[in-house]
Amino acid sequence: MNEPIIKTEHLTHIYAPDTPFELAAVRDVNLEIRKGEILGIIGHTGSGKSTLIQHLNALQKPTSGRVLLEGQDIFASKASIRQARARVGLVFQYPEYQLFEETVYKDIAFGPKNMSLTGEEIDRRVREAAGFVGLEEEILERSPFDLSGGQKRRVAIAGVIAMMPEVLVLDEPMAGLDPAGRESIMENILSYHDKTGAAIVIVTHSMEEAARHADRMVVLNHGSVAMDGAPEQIFSRGPELRRMGLDTPVMTDVAERLAGLGVRLPGTVYTVEQMVDALMQLERGLGRA
Amino acid sequence: MLKDITLGQYFPGTTVVHRLDPRTKIVMVALYIAALFTANTPGGYALMAVFLGVSIAVSRIRLKAMLKGMKPLIFIVVLTSLLNLFYGTGEPIFTFWIFKITAQGIRRAIYMVLRIVMLVMGTFMLTYTTSPIMLTYGLELLMNPLKKIKVPVHELAMMMSMALRLIPTLIEETDKIMSAQKARGAQFDTGNLIEKAKAMLPILIPLFLSSFRRADELATAMEARCYHGGEGRTRLNVLTMQTRDYLTLALGILLIAAVTVLRRFGL
Repeated sequence: MNEPIIKTEHLTHIYAPDTPFELAAVRDVNLEIRKGEILGIIGHTGSGKSTLIQHLNALQKPTSGRVLLEGQDIFASKASIRQARARVGLVFQYPEYQLFEETVYKDIAFGPKNMSLTGEEIDRRVREAAGFVGLEEEILERSPFDLSGGQKRRVAIAGVIAMMPEVLVLDEPMAGLDPAGRESIMENILSYHDKTGAAIVIVTHSMEEAARHADRMVVLNHGSVAMDGAPEQIFSRGPELRRMGLDTPVMTDVAERLAGLGVRLPGTVYTVEQMVDALMQLERGLGRA
Repeated sequence: MLKDITLGQYFPGTTVVHRLDPRTKIVMVALYIAALFTANTPGGYALMAVFLGVSIAVSRIRLKAMLKGMKPLIFIVVLTSLLNLFYGTGEPIFTFWIFKITAQGIRRAIYMVLRIVMLVMGTFMLTYTTSPIMLTYGLELLMNPLKKIKVPVHELAMMMSMALRLIPTLIEETDKIMSAQKARGAQFDTGNLIEKAKAMLPILIPLFLSSFRRADELATAMEARCYHGGEGRTRLNVLTMQTRDYLTLALGILLIAAVTVLRRFGL
């Protein structure tokens, strides 16, 4: 198991304290993000996912508790906050609405420029980032506002990737895209992970997506960590998930129904591939009997 | 940080003050201001202070919220009181270089501070206890007679309520865009004035774009639901004046009368 890169200790965040609108969005969260892993954070709307991830790069200050980046408190000084912003890249929900530059190139270069890199390095990073998200060379000189929704999303993600973060956090990166768009954005993110070894944190409420790609999953409920473990551990607790207002992957539902009919599948099943394997195993077993 | 703005914020509640007809509250604020500016005697100010104190107590608005809203006004209050302090005429009590302080100056300064503080607190009573929707509805009804001289009252009220409705959305959006740009290393609090102004561009451009998009979508959504102006439009909750509203208005008139009497007799 890899060593952790980010750790939160008793992280708590309360919005509008001492007013009638007081709300504890995150409560006593102890979370570890390990180097190079793909972590899925799931939870229903308002479970504190977005608030939690904004603490990871010092955008939100915890009401109490600490956030450690390789053992260093990220709020220790202005320099440590800047460092956290560069090392932990955060892609917001619907990031295409933050584009502002005249050309795609300039927009992607915004992050690296703020890191005061040399012109050459900025150029290299912009082209590399554009490559990761599959943007062609000729698009770089166009206005980001002339692109389609999916392409804008790619430009926005490239804008964060260009900072070459060691942890890339994405808040619902596939929201509002068609299935083909979702698939290809996911591939872009995975290619960044594979080539750089960065840790990826994907916030989603779609179980299918988390199930397919995550090494580990964290389930948030009312601002606290309700479950933390490998996908098969999480999905073996289907009824609990549904009580929290979350879906389970379709294949898990099918497996549960089969179990209801008396057909016990070996292991926990949550992807189509696993279902096929499980059924084959079952068939072989029946053949022998 | 932008969420901390309290000026003009509504604090939901169910007290008598909250339940008053918005028209009553708007007129009452006007009467209260008239009374406040009529008062120029210690008795008059005391009466106004008692009235304000009782209203705040009844509305259960926390004093902390009131004081927090006053914060941006401290400078104005201090400035006007100082100006008044040094511009009094008559026998000086205290002289220092070119400044002289008179009894009249002191009295005027105190009255001025009281006036501004009570004026602002009184108007806070209106915005703290009335939801923006009720407020615009109240204004629309009060301005209704102006329709006779072709003032587009309904349209104005609709625009106002939509603008009010969009303020929190815009604040939220600004917060979000700021966070997104900060996540890309943007800094808004360093450099000289020009650099700071330039740093605002990455926020303003997306904000403008989204405002236009939002306005467009809203217009389409309204037309899709057959909105065609105020003609023949009815309300879900029609306001009717209750006994408590008439009593409140009577109290307001009484307040003016009392302050006038106190002024007349110099009490």
